[in-house]
Amino acid sequence: MKLDVKNIVKVYPGTRALDDVSMSMESGKVYALIGKNGSGKSTLVKLLAGVIQPTSGEIFIDGKPLVCKTPGDAHKEGIVTVYQEMSLIPGLTVAENIFLNRMPKRGKIIDWPEAYRQSKEFLRTMGVNIDPRRQVQDLSMWQKQIVEITKAMIYSPKILLLDEPTSALAVNEVQNLLEFVRSLKERNIIVVYITHKLQELRQVADEVAVLRDGKFIGQVPMDEIDDKGIVNMMFGEVKIRERPKDIIPQDEVVMKVRKLTRKKAFQNVSFDLKKGEVLGIAGMLGSGRTELLRSIFGADGFSSGTIEIYGKSVTNFSPEKLVSHRVGLTPEERKTEGLILIHSIKDNLCYASIKQNQIAHFLENKRKRDQISAKQVTDLEIRIPGINHPCSSLSGGNQQKVVVGNWLNTKPMIMLYDEPSRGIDVNAKQQIFEIMWNSAREGISSIFVSTELEELLEVCHRLLIMYRGEIIGEVDPARCSIEELYECCMSGEISPAIALQEAA
Amino acid sequence: MNATKTANYRLNKTILLLLDNIVLIILLLLILALTLMTDKFMTTVNWLNILKAVALKGVIAFGMTMVIICAQIDLSIGSVVAIAGVIAAWFAKTLPELWGISVDLAAVIGIIAALLFSIVVGCFHAYSHVKFGMPAFIITLATQLFLFGLAGIICGGYPIAGKMPAWFNNLGFGRIGIIPIPAIVLLIIFFLTWFIMDLTSMGRSIYAVGGNSEAARLSGINVMKTQMFCFALTAVLSTLSGFMVSGQVMQASFTFGKGWETDVISSVVIGGTSMTGGIGKITGTMLGVIFIGVISNGMTLLNVSVYMQYVIRGFLLFGAVLISIFLPRMKQKLTY
Repeated sequence: MKLDVKNIVKVYPGTRALDDVSMSMESGKVYALIGKNGSGKSTLVKLLAGVIQPTSGEIFIDGKPLVCKTPGDAHKEGIVTVYQEMSLIPGLTVAENIFLNRMPKRGKIIDWPEAYRQSKEFLRTMGVNIDPRRQVQDLSMWQKQIVEITKAMIYSPKILLLDEPTSALAVNEVQNLLEFVRSLKERNIIVVYITHKLQELRQVADEVAVLRDGKFIGQVPMDEIDDKGIVNMMFGEVKIRERPKDIIPQDEVVMKVRKLTRKKAFQNVSFDLKKGEVLGIAGMLGSGRTELLRSIFGADGFSSGTIEIYGKSVTNFSPEKLVSHRVGLTPEERKTEGLILIHSIKDNLCYASIKQNQIAHFLENKRKRDQISAKQVTDLEIRIPGINHPCSSLSGGNQQKVVVGNWLNTKPMIMLYDEPSRGIDVNAKQQIFEIMWNSAREGISSIFVSTELEELLEVCHRLLIMYRGEIIGEVDPARCSIEELYECCMSGEISPAIALQEAA
Repeated sequence: MNATKTANYRLNKTILLLLDNIVLIILLLLILALTLMTDKFMTTVNWLNILKAVALKGVIAFGMTMVIICAQIDLSIGSVVAIAGVIAAWFAKTLPELWGISVDLAAVIGIIAALLFSIVVGCFHAYSHVKFGMPAFIITLATQLFLFGLAGIICGGYPIAGKMPAWFNNLGFGRIGIIPIPAIVLLIIFFLTWFIMDLTSMGRSIYAVGGNSEAARLSGINVMKTQMFCFALTAVLSTLSGFMVSGQVMQASFTFGKGWETDVISSVVIGGTSMTGGIGKITGTMLGVIFIGVISNGMTLLNVSVYMQYVIRGFLLFGAVLISIFLPRMKQKLTY
């Protein structure tokens, strides 16, 4: 079977989301569709899935024009989409989720043994071993993602669209999912795999198609192009920057964490943070990184241990308290924890500094709010339609900058960044890193937690390795390759070659 | 082409402006219609009557607006109204017998006791919500029952009548010049709550906690303190209202204020405050309060039966929420 996309144009008022895109795909292969945020990937997926209609251009299946007015039409034509947001219902079992709305019945009554038998059988043919009686909320992220794809496969699709299926997964989970996607090839279907992660491409795709700013850049077999070539296609010519050499941590210790323990999350965590330092914490998902940051910030409690900030020991932990110690945290979940999406950009830039923008301890200083919010928009190059527009109108990268700007307005001394680069494009990422470096120049210390190990290597002065809730040692990013770092996060052992030497 | 575009843009802007002020426009049309239909409506006396009539519940509505913007709800207000009067009256009745102090002093003590009690009730609401994660709907439903019963126990099932000093009557019935005191109280509370919500950091925190309490907490905002402020203020305002009710009839009963939460929440919602929190305006609530006042006043002048009035108010509430749901979508369509 062949799928041809010919000269597709999609115009939204004000933008050309897709501009003359043509692609050609055939069954039995995995096609990666790659491009930075806003390049038009999602628009193309929605088009194929029948959610939106092209302004001009046509789609052909085996030479026959394909018209999908609704997602239902696309479904009938055998085009099935698995979206980024999980559509599984957490409280139901795997079997119920797979057969949602189509449970096998005996008369009017659900035939449970048959449902479990069928879903078990189906999962087995998909090559996965998940108990259909388990509740979806008890599964790990990659298992959920596989159940999601399995649920799509039950329609025996001809074309399967996967929209960033690994975006919520940890490194070790990604492997499992990629293997699963590769196995789909044998079913003789077209798999379109949308991603913005380069390193996954080579493991999963046969061909890569690149979009940039709505334009189709090219479609190349994977073995004919190297990573640098793909990056060039994605971004045009962009230099990936290195940490500037002039940022050198000072000797003054600004935060002392000693024997911090929270049951079932982390134990005996001790480390020092120096003034102007960017300290990274590397570890697999579930190693306790996020929990550690949240406990330090007072967002969650801990059972024992001490923290000293600028020589003062902190008591009665709460975010309110830590803000008064001039510590800030950009939380892992930007949309649900970092921002108040319905409120304006200005408001969101001034929430953390609410107590600093006061006159006489109770009146709001409106002029100061105007000034500091405008300053962050300029300094951080936040692209906004207007300062009073709601934050929900911004792209992920700009939202993240608002979260950071909110904290910079408090004039923090220590910043804790939890996954600041998740779900934002490479340019925005670089800008976030620049912000961290610039803060470091001003003497602000940062702790940086990220799933993307290469970012940690690029950005940080020093890396703590966290393994099963403990800090097992420090690594010098200058002498460490990504493979070595990955290895030591996985195994929990640090080879002496990359360990940071104690300055005696 | 360009000319039509500009014309379209201007038209859209006008429609947006109209949509933003839809409640005000409907209210003005209503006032116009009532003025034309009956000559009793557009008179100073009638307007003062309307203000006096809406004041009792209106005062509470401003507090309720803050609670709802905080993404909470307070169903206990009716019972707080009742117990406020009952406490004040009980003190005025009992203390002179017990300690031989004057009725005036006893009534003042009673008023202070009722105010303090209401603060405790409000703080309890916020505390149980934040500490135990209980929904405010249930907590305040529980206090509604509890306080209703408690008020009944204190006054022994009968209204406490004729025990209040004469000046207490002024709270509900007095006038300054020609303006009824409840109407003045209403305006003062309106300005006070508007001031809090629009000009102070506490107001900003209330919007933040209602918009996303976790994000607010992680920004260093004290969620418990913010919610306590809203609930306590609402309870205090209900108490104030309770004094005015008891003052009007010079007696206190546990049945006062029963069912008031319906009208109070209606006026807040008609005023455009979102039940999901984070969005709303004190000025909107003022409109909502006057709206309800004008409707019931107008319908009474037109001899519409009480039952019909309820039917119409039901429709009104439904329509207001419907508008508030469709308004953002229509706006979005028009902006692009």
